Amino acid sequence: MKEEQIHENEQAAAPVTSRATVLLGVTGTVDSAIVQPCLQEIGPVLNARVIVAAPNLAEATENDVHFRSYPLTAGRPENLPWVNASFAQRAICSLAAEVQADVCVLLHGDLILLNADVLPLFIQPVLEKRCDVVLPVYAAGKFDGLLNHGILAPLARALFGQRVRYPLPLDFSCSAEMCAKFTAPHPAHDPNADEILWPATIAAVAGKQVCQVNVDASHGRQTDGIELRTALASLVGSAFIEMEKYASFWQRIRGSRATPVTGHAVKQASESDGIDVKPLIDSFLLGARNLQEIWGPVLPPVTLFELKRLSRAPLEEFRMPDELWVRILYDFALAHRLRSISRSHLLGALTPLYLGWVASYVQEAANLSPFAAEQRLEQLARAYEENKPYLLRRWRWPDRFNP
Amino acid sequence: MWQQVEQSLHDSMWRVFNKVAQLLPGILAFLVALLIFLLIAWVAAVITRRILNAVAFDKRTMPTTNALSELAPRQTPTVLATRVVFWVFVIIGVLVGVSAFEAASAESGISAYVFAYLPHVIGAAVLLFLGTVIGRFLSRSVLITAVNLNLQYARLLATGVRWLIYVLTAAMVLDHLSIGGDIVPLAFGILFGGIVLALALAVGLGSRDLVSRSLEREAARPSEPPVEEKIHHF
Repeated sequence: MKEEQIHENEQAAAPVTSRATVLLGVTGTVDSAIVQPCLQEIGPVLNARVIVAAPNLAEATENDVHFRSYPLTAGRPENLPWVNASFAQRAICSLAAEVQADVCVLLHGDLILLNADVLPLFIQPVLEKRCDVVLPVYAAGKFDGLLNHGILAPLARALFGQRVRYPLPLDFSCSAEMCAKFTAPHPAHDPNADEILWPATIAAVAGKQVCQVNVDASHGRQTDGIELRTALASLVGSAFIEMEKYASFWQRIRGSRATPVTGHAVKQASESDGIDVKPLIDSFLLGARNLQEIWGPVLPPVTLFELKRLSRAPLEEFRMPDELWVRILYDFALAHRLRSISRSHLLGALTPLYLGWVASYVQEAANLSPFAAEQRLEQLARAYEENKPYLLRRWRWPDRFNP
Repeated sequence: MWQQVEQSLHDSMWRVFNKVAQLLPGILAFLVALLIFLLIAWVAAVITRRILNAVAFDKRTMPTTNALSELAPRQTPTVLATRVVFWVFVIIGVLVGVSAFEAASAESGISAYVFAYLPHVIGAAVLLFLGTVIGRFLSRSVLITAVNLNLQYARLLATGVRWLIYVLTAAMVLDHLSIGGDIVPLAFGILFGGIVLALALAVGLGSRDLVSRSLEREAARPSEPPVEEKIHHF
């Protein structure tokens, strides 16, 4: 990890002299009484005009804090949580433009980041114009957020060249300029699609500075009650759509650069004992036996051969090489773009492969320390970058280059 | 007597050759008309494809054709429109050819019969296309869902669904073409009813013990957190 660490004393900068406007937008329903104590604590530090916005808040002004409501018409209860969060985040950004906020902080409905220690870390860098978007690095254990660590974060890093740990955060802050970019419709935007907001991607494409903040908190599992294949299809499908949307940009990017990180990194101890990977491997094997007709048009013969070999490996030796996993992901991204098969089928057929990777990672990381496990994920992220030329060749000449 | 047999054979052969010779101009006229319209259809399809590509038809219709691209990913709106144009010209060619055949061979009533039957053929072709596409789509959907639910008999289930839809489509197509009369719906009813009854009996009687054992095992399972709870995906 070569991430640039900004020391605590650096970010404890002097309060901004001009009275800026900070909009704290909450993506869920909230009670103003819960917000007040924290705001009173951080008010003197910020020296800013604070507006709190949530869908159900009554318009009022208490202790120099303005409470506003924002309309949330697009979200539907049956939507996946991150889709509704994206609708809310866009609505908050629209409100930020309306009230001419200098900084917009978007917080998840559980308000775990609403505390006087963390909030200034999200606001100050934007106010001081050091960063355009500040993203959180949540405290996580070895086996937390595997979909993020195994697919979303390394893919975004390899494509857009910025080392961001959580490219799809539930909390972040941004400048007024970025707010306008988040709400501006993309030319390729499908108005009927439930489009997820990827702040890190938009910032990278706009050439804006992204910063990260280590936070000693993590949200509860967002996939509770949601089937893995549904979550996988929604998130990875959205990542593939972003990939297609910004293809002309990421094809010019080589390597990646570190993003400044503030705050102390916190690792949660996770329970690694008793994780039985057999059900995961069984799911992979079932897929390998039955989904050849779906994988066949998507994956090149070499990959199919590797998967066949992997399916014959003994349980304790089950390891999916990074290169194989990365190329599978890239081939699925290409098939998604070319519509080789129905997109819902394609993303459904990815689930057993993902579970195979999870089984392999769990077996490898079971005896590793949190730091070593992080290094292992860094190695995977590098594999994404190293195999980007493969993606480029296949993306540009899908018919000519098929190993 | 042998001479009479030979004479009658000779006469019948002469009549057949005579009849074929009378039909030949009609057949030739039919083939020429069909070939000309095939050429026109090909040119019209090429022109249509170029125009639609030039106006970015696929992109413009993207929001409304998502369902189509899910069912048949390779069938873009442009490909479909091009094919429709091609086949419209081919059908016109067939009709013109049949009329030419009728005019050249002095066989009356053929074109009237073909004209009346043509809508049935078009309807059957559409049914066949939809049945094949839906059968393949649903079969793959069932296969993927079953695999993700860890069902060991996923492939069997998917194949069953595919053939059920194919058989249903075949029955509908034959019925639409008025081939087989009442036998087709009757045979389909018996076959379908038989399958459902067989499955009901198999599950109800044959697998009774299996189901009860499975339920008992589920009820007796200790409340240990499953593996998924120790691994957080998002």
